[in-house]
Amino acid sequence: MSRVVVCTWGTSGGAEELLTLARGVAAGLEATLGWVVLGPAPHDVTAIASRQDVPVVDHIEHEKLQSFGGDVAVAALADYVRQHDFRVLLVPQTFDARLLAPRLAARIDAGVVMNGLGVVVEGGALAVTASAYGGDTRVVYTLAGEGRFVIGVATSALAAEPAPNPATAVTRHCAVDLAAVEERVQVVTRSEQTGPRIEEADVLVAGGRGLGEKANYRLVEELAEALGGMAAASRPIVDEGWAEPARQVGLTGKITRPTLYIAAGISGASQHMVGCAAAKTLVAINRDPEAAIFRYARYGIVGDCLEILPALTRAVKG
Amino acid sequence: MSLRIVVCAKEVLDPDAVNNYALEGRLVIGDDGKSLTQSSIPRLMNAYDEQAIEAALRVREAGVPCTIAVVSVGEGQDILKHAASLGIDEPVAIHADAASLDHHGVARLLAAFVRSRGGADLVLCGRQASDDDQGVVPALVAEHLGLPVVTIARSVDVTAAGDGFAVRVVRVTPDGDETVAVPAPVVVTISNELGQARYPTMAGRMAARKKKVAVVTPAELGVAPEALRPRITLAKQFVPTVKGACEMIGGGADEAAAALLARLRAENVLR
Ligand SMILES: Cc1cc2nc3c(=O)[nH]c(=O)nc-3n(C[C@H](O)[C@H](O)[C@H](O)COP(=O)(O)OP(=O)(O)OC[C@H]3O[C@@H](n4cnc5c(N)ncnc54)[C@H](O)[C@@H]3O)c2cc1C
Ligand SMILES: Nc1ncnc2c1ncn2[C@@H]1O[C@H](COP(=O)(O)O)[C@@H](O)[C@H]1O
Repeated sequence: MSRVVVCTWGTSGGAEELLTLARGVAAGLEATLGWVVLGPAPHDVTAIASRQDVPVVDHIEHEKLQSFGGDVAVAALADYVRQHDFRVLLVPQTFDARLLAPRLAARIDAGVVMNGLGVVVEGGALAVTASAYGGDTRVVYTLAGEGRFVIGVATSALAAEPAPNPATAVTRHCAVDLAAVEERVQVVTRSEQTGPRIEEADVLVAGGRGLGEKANYRLVEELAEALGGMAAASRPIVDEGWAEPARQVGLTGKITRPTLYIAAGISGASQHMVGCAAAKTLVAINRDPEAAIFRYARYGIVGDCLEILPALTRAVKG
Repeated sequence: MSLRIVVCAKEVLDPDAVNNYALEGRLVIGDDGKSLTQSSIPRLMNAYDEQAIEAALRVREAGVPCTIAVVSVGEGQDILKHAASLGIDEPVAIHADAASLDHHGVARLLAAFVRSRGGADLVLCGRQASDDDQGVVPALVAEHLGLPVVTIARSVDVTAAGDGFAVRVVRVTPDGDETVAVPAPVVVTISNELGQARYPTMAGRMAARKKKVAVVTPAELGVAPEALRPRITLAKQFVPTVKGACEMIGGGADEAAAALLARLRAENVLR
């Protein structure tokens, strides 16, 4: 029987959501559902697997996986696949996954699709819905033939649902041969980002080109501080040097999930919205009543952000 | 000994123009259900690929003798003319119907091209194509060539090392910058943090007029049609609908600010 396998590592998150999606794919393909964990497993791995009706969790541990270089990870997975074949391998689309998934696919001659938002089986064939043009459009790819496929899935929009019939999961330790693998790319320095990150912030105030000039970014920072949150930014103002790169939200910046996201002077381009659409409540401040950002917002204020940001800061400080 | 650089460049629809249509809610998919039809959307070089060329030119300007080839799979030759005007040595079109290829086919052709040259020391790509956003071709090319790959670079430095070259790349990661060292040959993908790509000079444009774009076919690269049969096909493209449910808050700045805070507090979004 063929297998649909979810592959995770580290604290990539989204495992349970992806397992729920994979369960549907496995049912459609009349395949069994598997989960392979590379390196240290999350503490609640057995509980999640049981809830999601995954009978066996494959665990790949190897001392060379400690530092998690690309060469080692790809070799480990390729060796695992040689021993335990699959039809579809689903990975949560993290920064590392964007590199690992296509490398593994090429190594084992599988097809690869990234940016998946949904995967369904239609008439025995796999169809992946993915975002394109930075989110301006969606595309549906058909994956033809009997071959293997590796699919990267953005898990932030997925929901986890327990299986109707939970399993009692067991862990199977899978040995892989990494004797011949040496990491070709050596890390020389790594700037450990210290302090809080916008990815984890509960409240974000983001500024865009509508701020007009660099000095006005202070208004964003002041409101963020008053709210106990963090300041964020659209890409053009990061490119201009008004805000630090670590503040950038969007397709080529950070994917955030705050409770509250206040966007000031941001037009609402899809490349930006990719990074904040998961906010629970989105507030838009824009002087153009037709601005696209209002389509995504829960609350909107039409007006000059240079007046409204300070007004909000005053009101918060009350 | 000179460093052989190959830059892979793709022609895409201008993402800013696509964006503008999307922002106005006027983006339309054609009758085929797959392609964007607005004829006024220009085609140009993927911006990250332009920055990959920029990275190559900076290596040359840093004093490393280089030959720079820019290769594109597809029909469009305008982007290669543009590349030529920037002062690269060799623009090459791999003539294939890009619409009938998947990423695996494109990567096979690019790898075959590099092999046909007896290899390259540095293969530079964009981090992703702004049309499909897949970002898979560079890793596929690297695996086909058996090379390491370093993604999302903000800078690429090359120095001579023994009878080869050593490459240092600063990568932009979610945790901040990471500097890595890798011996050539290597595939590197370039991100926008590299900075603005240069514009062609007048002299560059003149020189480019005389430069011919070399055209090669898959057969000449020894790639059989079967190897290019797509596994992944685009079945459909559509514009997602955003269901707007925005409540507009009016009044002067202070009034609106107070009203907004009251609502956020009532909904427990803020305490
Ligand atoms: C491949 C690719 C990747 C990208 N990645 C990202 C990304 O990761 N993140 C990102 O943000 N962008 C990204 N972009 C850019 C994106 O397409 C938009 O260009 C960008 O998000 C626009 O930023 P903005 O809204 O700040 O500026 P603009 O689009 O210029 O919008 C400014 C807005 O401010 C309003 N405004 C002006 N003055 C005022 C005022 N005084 N008060 C109130 N409102 C005012 C205007 O009405 C307008 O709506 C990417 C683009 C591409 C092609
Ligand atoms: N048709 C093509 N011709 C040349 N290079 C390409 C082509 N398609 C993709 N690439 C390269 O691969 C990168 C990533 O593309 P993609 O995987 O399509 O997102 C691009 O930035 C280019 O450098």
